[in-house]
Amino acid sequence: MKRTLHVKDIILITLIAIIFGFIYVASDNIYNFLTLILTPIGYGPLANDITMGIWCMAGPLAGFIVRLPAAAFLGEFLGSCVETFAMAQWGAANFLSGFIQGLGNELGFTLTGYKHYGWFTLFLSATTTTIVTYLYDFFKNGYNQFSIFNMILYFVVRWISMLLFSCVLVKLIVNLLERSHVINLQTTQD
Amino acid sequence: MNPSLKLFLVLIISLEVSLKANLLANLILIFISLIYLFIHRVSLKELLGLIFVPLIAAIAIFIAIYYYSPAHDLIYAWTLFSRLYTFVFLGACLTKTTTATQLSRSLEQNMHLPTKFAYGTLAAFNVLPKIGQEVKRIHAAGQMRAMNLSFYSPRLYFKAILSAISWADGLNDAMQAHGFRETQARSIIDPIALTKKDWLLFILLLISFQPILFFLYI
Repeated sequence: MKRTLHVKDIILITLIAIIFGFIYVASDNIYNFLTLILTPIGYGPLANDITMGIWCMAGPLAGFIVRLPAAAFLGEFLGSCVETFAMAQWGAANFLSGFIQGLGNELGFTLTGYKHYGWFTLFLSATTTTIVTYLYDFFKNGYNQFSIFNMILYFVVRWISMLLFSCVLVKLIVNLLERSHVINLQTTQD
Repeated sequence: MNPSLKLFLVLIISLEVSLKANLLANLILIFISLIYLFIHRVSLKELLGLIFVPLIAAIAIFIAIYYYSPAHDLIYAWTLFSRLYTFVFLGACLTKTTTATQLSRSLEQNMHLPTKFAYGTLAAFNVLPKIGQEVKRIHAAGQMRAMNLSFYSPRLYFKAILSAISWADGLNDAMQAHGFRETQARSIIDPIALTKKDWLLFILLLISFQPILFFLYI
């Protein structure tokens, strides 16, 4: 029988998203601190790219724990909906970013057909998220005004952040979960 | 206005604003949102919060575009500055006048969102304060063992996810015990109206915004 998302999965996915939101907000001073340091040299928006990987961790993790289509998207998107109501920091931008980031996350899992779960999946997901969110910020945050060098710099920084957090850190968390048999090991491994 | 329609209106307009640069349209949206928030008696303290929280990021974007980009485009810099506030105030129009419960009920009743999404998300939303406590508890427990668990420690997330899994189980059991079945139709205690007037207002606002965004320039 084909498994579909049940209410328990949806609760779990949302809870995971909220946890990541909380830990991020708890360390929100990192973002403000980075912005303050970088603004005088004209790289203020770079703080967004440096911390982007932390924002996008909930999606891949939800995708790994609940191994079903749409889990990664929902992890990111539902989390942003809850955050919009609970913290209301960025207002409607939260909804939209959550939606775009969710799409990026999901794409990585779609490209592996929801069958292969390992390093490669996370690498793909991190990369697709980087591309999708960068394209959106290209217009939304005015990256199209930057010099070519800066455009590339912002992209590379975002990608590195994504690989560090949404790929390496998520994999380390997944390893802990697998070792404690929270996630069953029957699916394909690297 | 119906909560679902309000959500869609805010989302559509925000998406348009995020892709099309128009300073005047941003300012008009902020102004209208402010009036809407005043009518709904949002306190001054909350308004000040809305203004100060995104301020650093807004200034950062302004400086990067005006002083450090090749074009030094002042109008564009102000556009991006005001864009952040457009998002914040539009979002506030939704979140300060509608509760999450109203919105999820409306999405379920008016937009036929499957109940498992409406109630699953709501269940998680309602344990939000507990999650904050749990993260703090894990952090404190780590410090007692001389382990500093920060945002880059896998162990912090691992422990928090274990709690989330047990909460999801508990909430699921509780909902089942109270008679929640995801495949069954539900009776409605608190009906949320979706009238012709709501639709009319929605369409009218959306259409009247288009010329402002695409044809009105300073």
